[in-house]
Amino acid sequence: MREITLDELRAADGHEGRPAWIGYAGRVYDVTESFLWQRGSHQALHKAGRDLTVELEAAPHGAEFVEGFPVVGQLIPRSTGGNTCER
Amino acid sequence: MAKVAREMVEKAGVNVDQLLELLVKNASAELTTYYYYTILRVNLIGLDGEGIKEIAEVARIEDRNHFEALVPRIYELGGKLPDCMKAFHDASACPPARLPTDPRDIRAMLQTLVEAERCAVRGYTHICNMTAGKDHRTYDLALAILNEEIEHESWFSEFLGEGPSGHFMRHGETSPFVSKFLK
Repeated sequence: MREITLDELRAADGHEGRPAWIGYAGRVYDVTESFLWQRGSHQALHKAGRDLTVELEAAPHGAEFVEGFPVVGQLIPRSTGGNTCER
Repeated sequence: MAKVAREMVEKAGVNVDQLLELLVKNASAELTTYYYYTILRVNLIGLDGEGIKEIAEVARIEDRNHFEALVPRIYELGGKLPDCMKAFHDASACPPARLPTDPRDIRAMLQTLVEAERCAVRGYTHICNMTAGKDHRTYDLALAILNEEIEHESWFSEFLGEGPSGHFMRHGETSPFVSKFLK
């Protein structure tokens, strides 16, 4: 399975023609074609390009709604590059 | 706009802009569902379809009532409806309840209807959770709508063989919970 970094996930925010991806439970799902994820936004509260594992716990629906979307890859919980140093 | 009313909601810790976006999305879902249910109802024909037509009609009228009831609250809080109907449609909190490819497939019709209601139940539950104890007026409205959406869901669910709805159909009246907001 393709490995996807947090930076790659963040870039897929659904804006300006970019794909809309969301992270959930270690996987990345493609929600670009979903009516409910237009412009990378879902129900005014959730944004694409993020790991929504924690947010989904408070959602009025279960994980099955996310798991029905195409899987893009596996989320690697570490950013590459940037200005931060790992300790 | 009801300036102090909005201020009170903000002070209670509700993100009013976020709430307004949700209210507009749900108002859109109600009006677009009213439109799509019109097409579904027209196509509920024959021995199987006729039995469902009346509850589909009640759900259709009540969804329009929900739209009517939501609009004043949107403007009270300083929000507004999009000036473009297409933008309004596309902002819907629920996917379009389009006519199934085979309208004679009553089970597919019922699936479309029940999925639309389930989306609404999720949406209003969320608004209730968001406003409970903070925005009393929006909570009261969302709860009234939620009560009716749950009844719609259970009617269609019953026809799908998922178990009894637990209540009887309306007797001529519509919106027993929401009507107080329409007077």
